[in-house]
Amino acid sequence: MRKAFILLLGLALYTTSCTFDDQVDPNAPSLNSVLNNASLQELNLLVTGTEAAMRNGFGTFVTSSGSVAREFYKFDADPRNTEDLLGKNGTQLDNNTFYLTAPYNTRYRVIKNCNILLEALDNTDQVSAAEKDGYRGFANTVKAHMFLQVLSLLDDNGIRIDVADPENIGPFVSKSQAYTEILALLDLGFSQLSGASFAFTLSAGFAGFDTPSSFGQFNRALSAKTALYAEQWDEVTKVINTTFMDLAGDLGVGPKHVFSNSSGDIQNPLFKAAGQSGDQLVVHDDFIDNGIAGDARLSKFRARIATPSQDDLNGSHETALYETATSSIDIIRNEELILIYAEASMQNGDLDTAVDGINIIRNAAGIGDYMGDVTKEALIDEILFQRSYSLWGEGHRMFDMRRYGRLNDQFLPIDRPGDLIHEEFPIPLTEGQ
Amino acid sequence: MKYFFYRASTLLVALLFISLQANAQFQVSGTISDEGGETLIGVSILVKGTTRGTISDIDGNYTLDVPGSSAVLEFSYTGFKTETIEVTPSNTTLNVTLSEDITNLAEVVVTGLASTIKRSNLANAVSKVSSTELTGVTTQSSVDGALYGKLTGVNIVQSNGAPGGGIAVRLRGVSSLSGNNQPLIILDGVYITNAEIPSGSRFASGANSGTEEGASNRIADINPADIESIEVLKGASAAAIYGTRANAGVIIITTKKGVAGKTRVTLSQDVGFNKIQNRVGRRSLDSEAEVAEVYPNDPDAPAQWAAARAAGKLFDYEDEIYGETGLISDTRLNVSGGNDKTKYFISGAYRTEDGIIKNTGYDRFTTRMNIDHKISDKLTISSTSNYVRSSASRSFTGNENEGGLSYGYTLAFTRDYVDLFPDENGVYPNNPNYAGNPIFVRDNAINEENNNRFIQGVKLDWQALQKDNQVLRFTLNGGLDFLFNDTYVYVPETHQAQVGLDNGFIGVGKNTIFNYNYQLFGSYDYYTDGGLSFSTQAGISYLSFDRDFVLNQTTQLIPLQTNLTQGGTQEISQRIETEQEFGFIAQEQINWDDKLIATVGVRFDKSSLNGDPNKYYAFPRASLAANIANFDFWNSQDISQFKLRVAYGETGNSASFGSLFTSLSPNNINGAPGFVIRSQQGNPLLIPETSSELEFGTDLSLFNNKLGIELTYYIRQVKDLLYDRSLPTSSGFTNEIRNDLNLENRGLELGLTINPVRTSNFDWVSNVNFWFNDSEITLLGTPGNGTDSEDIPSFVPPGVAFGLGLGSFYINEGTPITALWGRDDNGNPTITGDTEPDFQLGWFNQFKIGKRVDFNFLTHWKQGGDVLNLSRLLTDIGGVTPENLLALEGFIEDASYFRLREVGLYYTLPFESDYIENIRFGISGRNLITLTDYSSYDPETSTKGGTGLSTGIEVTPFPSSRQAYFHINFNF
Repeated sequence: MRKAFILLLGLALYTTSCTFDDQVDPNAPSLNSVLNNASLQELNLLVTGTEAAMRNGFGTFVTSSGSVAREFYKFDADPRNTEDLLGKNGTQLDNNTFYLTAPYNTRYRVIKNCNILLEALDNTDQVSAAEKDGYRGFANTVKAHMFLQVLSLLDDNGIRIDVADPENIGPFVSKSQAYTEILALLDLGFSQLSGASFAFTLSAGFAGFDTPSSFGQFNRALSAKTALYAEQWDEVTKVINTTFMDLAGDLGVGPKHVFSNSSGDIQNPLFKAAGQSGDQLVVHDDFIDNGIAGDARLSKFRARIATPSQDDLNGSHETALYETATSSIDIIRNEELILIYAEASMQNGDLDTAVDGINIIRNAAGIGDYMGDVTKEALIDEILFQRSYSLWGEGHRMFDMRRYGRLNDQFLPIDRPGDLIHEEFPIPLTEGQ
Repeated sequence: MKYFFYRASTLLVALLFISLQANAQFQVSGTISDEGGETLIGVSILVKGTTRGTISDIDGNYTLDVPGSSAVLEFSYTGFKTETIEVTPSNTTLNVTLSEDITNLAEVVVTGLASTIKRSNLANAVSKVSSTELTGVTTQSSVDGALYGKLTGVNIVQSNGAPGGGIAVRLRGVSSLSGNNQPLIILDGVYITNAEIPSGSRFASGANSGTEEGASNRIADINPADIESIEVLKGASAAAIYGTRANAGVIIITTKKGVAGKTRVTLSQDVGFNKIQNRVGRRSLDSEAEVAEVYPNDPDAPAQWAAARAAGKLFDYEDEIYGETGLISDTRLNVSGGNDKTKYFISGAYRTEDGIIKNTGYDRFTTRMNIDHKISDKLTISSTSNYVRSSASRSFTGNENEGGLSYGYTLAFTRDYVDLFPDENGVYPNNPNYAGNPIFVRDNAINEENNNRFIQGVKLDWQALQKDNQVLRFTLNGGLDFLFNDTYVYVPETHQAQVGLDNGFIGVGKNTIFNYNYQLFGSYDYYTDGGLSFSTQAGISYLSFDRDFVLNQTTQLIPLQTNLTQGGTQEISQRIETEQEFGFIAQEQINWDDKLIATVGVRFDKSSLNGDPNKYYAFPRASLAANIANFDFWNSQDISQFKLRVAYGETGNSASFGSLFTSLSPNNINGAPGFVIRSQQGNPLLIPETSSELEFGTDLSLFNNKLGIELTYYIRQVKDLLYDRSLPTSSGFTNEIRNDLNLENRGLELGLTINPVRTSNFDWVSNVNFWFNDSEITLLGTPGNGTDSEDIPSFVPPGVAFGLGLGSFYINEGTPITALWGRDDNGNPTITGDTEPDFQLGWFNQFKIGKRVDFNFLTHWKQGGDVLNLSRLLTDIGGVTPENLLALEGFIEDASYFRLREVGLYYTLPFESDYIENIRFGISGRNLITLTDYSSYDPETSTKGGTGLSTGIEVTPFPSSRQAYFHINFNF
């Protein structure tokens, strides 16, 4: 028996002498593994991961801004879609709630992924210089796209640009400086793309935009959009011709977010099943009432089978923008570029060119040429009208209305007494500002 | 460290060889009985000041060799007053009558890992719950639920009313924000798991996290009827010896053992039922005009309502869903007995319980075999084996997003004039007002789990040396807890929210947890002639926890198929976690004649969860108890015990698994894999959080032990608290784990035990437990509130609530950690409530009327403690809030309540039969009466389950039930 105890004591002493190994995450690759001499495969996983992650939170970006701009009401499980976003009883937007934090956090997560890709490129010799430029051009273009979306939400609050070092994040910069920096980032990306080669493949959503030069046209399209938002009209006109805009071409051409039922993939967050009232985008009746008979774009709206109200709100139509849960979402398309072109032309005083652009859109929608006054004021109304139908439910109207000082109750309906129209989203609470 | 252990063990082994002189001796014998003349088995008889002793046999007889020419014998027995009697060789027959002691001073309490102490000498307020208190009043479905109101300093919150558990236990306030906030549970020496394992239903319901799924916690597997006693070490001063896992306290469960003597067979059968405790009600509509007023922008509503009324199709969906009466049956068979060498306790039990929602319920089958065997006079082995098979069908409740599954959520938007029942073809209509039809979900969707669990403990005890004034023992014990859990969630492709999107969902989880631990201790007791005794113990402890959780999901289902294979999209996720801990323990206790009892001890622990897995952290303790009434100058007859005590100790808690890592998460686009930075920034430098606690108090026994008072005040400081800080999300991360937060809990605990009437025909024992706790965040980052650039600004912790706009917890220096915050008129964060109760009071009464009738009841009063009632926010939006609640302002409500928790009446029928000794009949109830102003189902609720801070936030829970039982019990 004593021997047994000696054995046990021995066992105990043995245990004390053995050391615990440092923990390695058994569930996922570590960040450090890609920051040190990343392989081609790792870099490509970062690219694919970035493209995939751009889609996360985009649905909320569209529904938050679209609710504020009264494009639609979101009837679903969360009461704040019809309370906070519509300013029910004077409610202000909360800086600690999903309708802001979901798009905000996901945009910056993509930016972080791009910064990781950029840092990984600086620390690897596994790919050629031209290939590195390809990755960099991709990363900087995507970053700029994400920054612009955040800035669109926060507007006069400005945004943080310098966020590569989590221990030492830079300050919020003003809206105008942010536009300057986003444009500079796009220019940097564009210059990196010229002469670069792509060692990665993008999804089918980038078909036609998957080479350095065609991806460069996408980069220029984002530059034109940013310059438009920044009201740098000359810059728009200068850049627009280097984009993929094609006045005679298919309005639908452009890179897309694709969705699938593949394992691990996500579905189109803006697709809503027909007749489903508990999870639906109910079109604001104004879009039905103001629609021009015969406008093909009215097919984006489908009459509801039953019209139960939620939170005292109602509407006769629901979204039919996407056909299925795996329909793709346009990132930017020829139609928007032509509208940008028309608007910049109008702002530059070239009203006839503006009308030409408008007519391309109108004729594609089947409502014939523009017959109204050819004045700047009239064309602003017309362009905003065309944009609201061409780009309905795609995350534009709140910003378009605001650009022309129309994000208020003079231009937008108040559906319940006491509702407010918000002008911008606050800085998230977590930013500690 | 190795050197330290070597020294300690050499010292202990060396003591083996100390020889002692033999003395003259004489023999004393007699019989021990209680005041009613019943003989008492197992009374401990000890020669005072020595290790020499014996216990009475099954006839109450004892024989003891006493050294020297005179000695003092101490007769002690749990539940009875200890007697000390002097004996001499002229007085060798000594029959003793023990009187009952409701204050239980002779009770033995486990304090160290290998030592016990009499309650009268204890320097901490250790609560002990006996099997009578635990299961004597009514039958209990889970161990944690059975503790409600029976202990001071314990806050128990049932997060979910579904059968089969879902309970969080907090001892002396919140002690951790991340990591494990629940007490360590040790069952017969085995570190058992109390995990909440989510089923993955969130992937169909849209709930934000696994904690919102309303999973049960796995202590539910333990059959309460197998338990002999539960000891609760509430704070660091008592739990320090458990080191790095004991920050949230320790619950030590001891199961029943066999008693030598004739074989005892007990068969018990309980039959009862579940009914909803409280209905919230629904908006009643009486006219078309009223319908138009309630649903103002809904032109079709008045006509639809009128048509439904005309057709007799106005429903009460609350009643349709929650209105079931669930049957409960609990069958138990125990066989126990043994002889001098071997004792055994065998039990088998089967409990089945149906919930108040159709197709919900809980089944548990348990078997247990506890064996104690004396291999020799010096060597004993004990084995406890427990197999459990349990299954729960919990359906869908709680928070969700457009899943159309959670009943409460769905009901909040469902109007009672809409017919949701299937038509003659069995087709369920779509719910026009929400993403799901609750009748369809109730009848067709499945959310269930099965557990197969085996818990085995072994203890080997070697009395290496036994002399009159010294004992040396070695104890090796250890055990394992293996749990295989499988979960199954099925949402048919025809479910409204699935159509056109995922087209049906199947989730199958296969989860294993394997814990094992062992410890080896030497303990040495030495008694001096001067009344001083020393008790020394030293040892090591090792534990290892492995978890492997696999979740398989299939969507795009082939119609009518319920198998993972049958669908277009299949997805797997796996999470592996491993933890190891090792520690050394040494403790010295010095007892001066039961007058002064001092203890010092230290434990050194290392853990694989710490940034440096091989660094040892020290957790010291020290305590002093002074039994003033045992000093010679004390001569009050009325006060038999007057003890002053003070105790200090430290415990730790390591970060939860994964906190050290910054990782990349997989994602996918169109079939191509990618990765994206995970939202949590890891911290490879984490150290354990430490809790240090000072507790002091007094214990009094008055009037012939008819009144016992236990009063304790504690101050508990948690330093380097591990917390999940919300980061500026522009960094790309949403949160990081940090270590720079200090928290303080202070509280008072008062326990009164009163025996107002004690006659042979009527005995009334009453326990009053009163307690409160207050917390304050004393440091966040650097001192001051976010002014200094190095400082951490106040923040909303991730995942605890739904944003400040609705109300949330908010980590802010200088305020309670349990406070609920909202916004003031300027949009700035401001305190709007506090989930911590002002105080709680449990009142437990036991009446023995005659020899045959027992009547017991327990009431529980919780004063204060707010709940954020977001269920009402939803019913307001959906227009179904009952009229009487429409006037309530805001959603934070006072959740005070007074509840008749347990009540039971039993009659024992003696039986003149060779086979049946007696039959016991009884009726009992649970939660029969609740008085509260809280407007929803139950003032106790947590939509985020049992982890972290998450109590006091309600989103459409599974409503709690009240239970009534009939019992019959045969003793053979």
